[in-house]
Amino acid sequence: MKASFLWRNRVVLTSLLMLLLAAHMLTTGVRPNDPTARPGEFVMGVLSPVQGGSAHLVEAAHDFWHDYLGLVAVQRQNQQLRAELAHFENDRARLAELETENRHLSELLDVREALGMRAIAANVIGSDATGLSRTLILSEGSSSGLKPGMAVLSNEGVVGKLLSTSPGSSRVLLIDDHNAALDAFDQRSRVRGIVAGVVDDGLTMKYVGRTADVRPGDPVVTSGLDGVFPRGLLIGQVSRVEREGPGLFVNVAVAPAVDFRRLEQVLVVKDPPPRVVAQDDNS
Amino acid sequence: MVLLFGAATLIALALQTMLPYWLPIGPYVPDLVLILAVDLGLRHHGAIAALMAFVMGYAIDAFSGTQIGLNAFMITLVFLLTYEMSSRLLVTNVVVGILAVFAGVLIKDLGSIAISSGFGGLGQRGLMADLFGQAAITALIAPLVFLALARSKKLLGLLTPGRREDNTPARRWLK
Repeated sequence: MKASFLWRNRVVLTSLLMLLLAAHMLTTGVRPNDPTARPGEFVMGVLSPVQGGSAHLVEAAHDFWHDYLGLVAVQRQNQQLRAELAHFENDRARLAELETENRHLSELLDVREALGMRAIAANVIGSDATGLSRTLILSEGSSSGLKPGMAVLSNEGVVGKLLSTSPGSSRVLLIDDHNAALDAFDQRSRVRGIVAGVVDDGLTMKYVGRTADVRPGDPVVTSGLDGVFPRGLLIGQVSRVEREGPGLFVNVAVAPAVDFRRLEQVLVVKDPPPRVVAQDDNS
Repeated sequence: MVLLFGAATLIALALQTMLPYWLPIGPYVPDLVLILAVDLGLRHHGAIAALMAFVMGYAIDAFSGTQIGLNAFMITLVFLLTYEMSSRLLVTNVVVGILAVFAGVLIKDLGSIAISSGFGGLGQRGLMADLFGQAAITALIAPLVFLALARSKKLLGLLTPGRREDNTPARRWLK
């Protein structure tokens, strides 16, 4: 009778067991860099060459498409002009791509020099597996010295922090993810708050008092107090301040300075930021 | 079956992480792994299928979010619900599969947000539109994935259960 019950309900029982295991992982707070998450690192390691290859493939396809468009336009001209123009377009596209990449890397180099810290550049080779979380996959990993918790920047501002690493790749939690938060302040009025991502899109600055002097257009920068990001890096600009409604705090929306969907190269800061002593910026 | 779904999960994950990089699709990333879990729930009624669903969700956790176990939980839950539904239906055709995928995406996404951000996270502006968009896109792609799986199973001889397996009690439990 007992065996029959187990046999009849084997799928449900196994599923419930798996649900319990997953719930245990959730409640005990297994993080992506914990030893128990090693199988995940293995999956990342398996897929990172594919993702890296695809990034090159996309670039090649982009170049091919660009060349193709150029050829279609020139085909209406004569044969000689078409060949010359195709050659020119090809060179121009390649140079433009190199110039863009060079500009990005130069800007990242400027950021690195301005920071005065050890940092390495990495290419973005993939994004989050679901549309709900905001993470990116980078081409550099633990073999390049990257570790979870390191700050990730672009020439436009703060990008996020490293969540997990495998030898050949790593994953960045973007600052607009709903699980991300960093200590920040309004650069004009020095009002402090916690900048966090929201599920839908964008950023919000939490715990800003109702009487605080925060206005749309104010730049929001890192405070350096969270021990991840150096002080004074641009996060974004205040886009909306809602003082209506109940509660102790105002609702401050922040537009990120970085366009996360167009990121190609980023800078990973390997050194921890200098220790900053907390001041009462609100006073 | 394990090899087929393992390989399919790796391909699905590679596509899911690379599609947003290739195309400007924003949050509308088709949840290909969930389609695989629904197929397991509809057509594979064994303990191995439940284990596979968990492993597939765990693999997503390597590429998404901050909490290990979140996707493992939701994918296993979707598998279990699909299995329960299919065991009460006379026919499990493509239409049932599409509806199950549509509902599964909504359940998984709403559950994930509720677990990771609390129920307050569900009240975000424009969230439901994004979720319905993602569910619709995933449901539209589902028939193609079901077809590809069916072809692969036929090729591997998985459509004739029992032919390749022995009849020991342990094997029957896992089947």
